[in-house]
Amino acid sequence: MNRGYMGRVLMVDLTKGDFREERIPDEVYEKYLSGIGLAAYLLYDRIPAGADPLGPENILGFVSGLLTGTGSLFSGRWMVVGKSPLTGTWGDANCGGSFSPAIKRCGYDGIFFSGVSEKPVYLYIKDRKITLMDASHLWGKDAIETEEILLERHGPGARVAVIGPAGERLSLISGICNDKGRIAARSGLGAVMGSKRLKALVLDGKKRITPYDREAVHKLSRKCNRWVQFQVPLGPSIGTALIGTLLRVLPTAMAMDGMVYKMILRQWGTGGLNQMSPEWGDSPVKNWKGSNVDWPLKKSKSADPDLVKKLEFIKYHCYSCPLGCGGKCSLTGKYSETHKPEYESVLALGGLCMNEDTDSLFYLNELLNRAGMDTISAGATVAWAMECFEQGILTLDDTDGLDLRWGNTSAMIALIHKMINREGIGDILADGSRAAAKKIGRGSEKYTVHAGGQEPAMHDGRQDPGFAVHYCVEPTPGRHTLGAQLYYEMFQLWKKVRGLPKKLPFQIYHKNSKYRATEKHTLEAAACSKYMNVVNGAGLCMFGTFLGITRTPTFDWLNAATGWNKTPEEYMEIGKRIQTLKQAFNVRHGIDPRANRLSDRALGIPPQPQGANKGRTVPIEKRMEDYWRHFGWDPTTGKPTDETLAGLGLSVE
Amino acid sequence: MPYTIIDTCTGCGACERICPTRAITGKKKDVYRIDGDLCIECGACGRICPSAAVKDRFGRICVMVKRSQWKRPVFDRDTCMSCSMCIDACPANCLELSEAKGPKDPHGHPRLKDERACIGCGFCEAECPVGAVTMLVPVPKDESRKSKPAAEAAR
Repeated sequence: MNRGYMGRVLMVDLTKGDFREERIPDEVYEKYLSGIGLAAYLLYDRIPAGADPLGPENILGFVSGLLTGTGSLFSGRWMVVGKSPLTGTWGDANCGGSFSPAIKRCGYDGIFFSGVSEKPVYLYIKDRKITLMDASHLWGKDAIETEEILLERHGPGARVAVIGPAGERLSLISGICNDKGRIAARSGLGAVMGSKRLKALVLDGKKRITPYDREAVHKLSRKCNRWVQFQVPLGPSIGTALIGTLLRVLPTAMAMDGMVYKMILRQWGTGGLNQMSPEWGDSPVKNWKGSNVDWPLKKSKSADPDLVKKLEFIKYHCYSCPLGCGGKCSLTGKYSETHKPEYESVLALGGLCMNEDTDSLFYLNELLNRAGMDTISAGATVAWAMECFEQGILTLDDTDGLDLRWGNTSAMIALIHKMINREGIGDILADGSRAAAKKIGRGSEKYTVHAGGQEPAMHDGRQDPGFAVHYCVEPTPGRHTLGAQLYYEMFQLWKKVRGLPKKLPFQIYHKNSKYRATEKHTLEAAACSKYMNVVNGAGLCMFGTFLGITRTPTFDWLNAATGWNKTPEEYMEIGKRIQTLKQAFNVRHGIDPRANRLSDRALGIPPQPQGANKGRTVPIEKRMEDYWRHFGWDPTTGKPTDETLAGLGLSVE
Repeated sequence: MPYTIIDTCTGCGACERICPTRAITGKKKDVYRIDGDLCIECGACGRICPSAAVKDRFGRICVMVKRSQWKRPVFDRDTCMSCSMCIDACPANCLELSEAKGPKDPHGHPRLKDERACIGCGFCEAECPVGAVTMLVPVPKDESRKSKPAAEAAR
């Protein structure tokens, strides 16, 4: 029976150099979907408790989504999974491009690597023939160069995922790249790939991906596409910036509809918020210490969305995406083109470090993509170093003569080069701010902003406490792609799932209500987590799901592709099961969930004296307890209780 | 159910050369065989076989079609959403994304990169959710000038 998934995974033992195909029973897909759920199911048992993330026992998995290739839209996301060396927790990172269907076209829902290879290798799959090939000649080359060499050798039909020099040098903030500039950056899984001496995966399969009812999936896709194609010209980007100012000044907020964000994405990409976001306090400034007062419009115009768009010569669509929020930009100088810098990269390397140089944003974006290093964590680590420099904790002697004043672009570029090459101070900073502060000491810990070691993204919990909650409570801490109050408004899950708090379209409410800790807030946060697990099991793009559950019909697509007849509530239960299993994974590896709490500064402890988020504190203790209780985890320790595990059918020790 | 080759095979090797997944193997002048695990049912072997020796998934003998008469994809740019599903679906890697047409249409659209590499399987048409791909028998150039272009005729 065709159900959209391939029903098999590939296990590669790099130590022995052998391969094993494993059939996955249908019941597993029904309980965990594919993608992140399947990975959690497989890795929970197989990574031994206390395994060294950079050792042979850790397993690195590349998984596709259940809906990938079935004809549904936005389903081009693949995920890399494993135990994170950065946080020690469950680690995953999500990326687009054209790699996700390539995994399934080789006949697998996932490819998993254990062991450590003696010499650098890459995996090559062509029409079901699997080979581990020597990658010694590629070791040391950057991600794009490597991809070009591999495509030259294996033909344009191949799809490549690769680590850059950062991953090879085991930088704990490194990721895995594909399609010449997309990167699964978070959780530091590039270092896991580097530790296994696995340089790349080259996939060239032709298997057909067959859903249960392709026409039904297509019908839903056509309906969804009509919403995506509906576009109103939004005018010059200064408009978005001024809306940001307005949102800051008004005492009220408005329930956001995803169509508005969709139109911003269509016109500018994620960078559409480059100026708006710092204005209304959504983006942190100056290592989370500053505010819009330090980063006014005249400074943030260095990343003006229209300015960025000017260099874009073609829109970039991931596989099966009708929206195309990405782009390719032409550059002058060392690199001739780059993928359009995303919002996160721009703000982490811009406002967070007070860097006003537009050209440097493009250059650093390309440099970090090639090196395979996370732009968010790299920017945040540089910002932390700059604050340490300001405070006198780091001196010119420590920084190898680099004058790390706020916004000193040339020093920043030099520092990031050092981080990639692990030279001098760069060697210390290459593992992220928490590890660096531990090495440097002298009170520098006070200035780090992280959750469990992961630098949070450029969304400030003091503006939307939902972000702060998810940074703290998720099994993968510090992540902005799992939930927020804003996301809840856009997902519009209450239209399909019973028992969730409703919001009227563009409902206006007082901003103060965001900073309470009520039952409603808990339900919203939990719904986001559960839904995002379903989305990541299906391999959908979060931006696509922002259109709302009725316009991007995740549950209906899943039913049409698999032939199941599950209710939205049943899918949310699957999301809950995956979430709990990931948390159980953490507990099994000795992680104390309480230790993943976000740094005080980012929670508004003490509150900021000025700016958009003046006087705001996130009631985090209660929010965390409530969230854990909702999931049936111990509210004081965050550990799933035995009854919860049994109730979800999880046979966990 | 994959395609199969029957005894009437003369062992010319045409199917082996056209198979995009290298599922067909055999010795010259001997009966060739198809590896069912690799076969993706694109039907190229059936269309090219001169001795009616290929059976399709339903057990029917495939009819040879002159290669110039094989259907090729025609893309409707207005309906196309640039999602590249067709490019990914193509087992012969004969599609590519075009350059953008300037600020009015900044998206790339699929086009037939290598007409001769196309095996006429129609997977691109089958996988396009919005019906922007139509498989048509190519019209010779001098004829197409006289009559309507193929793409328009399809609409």
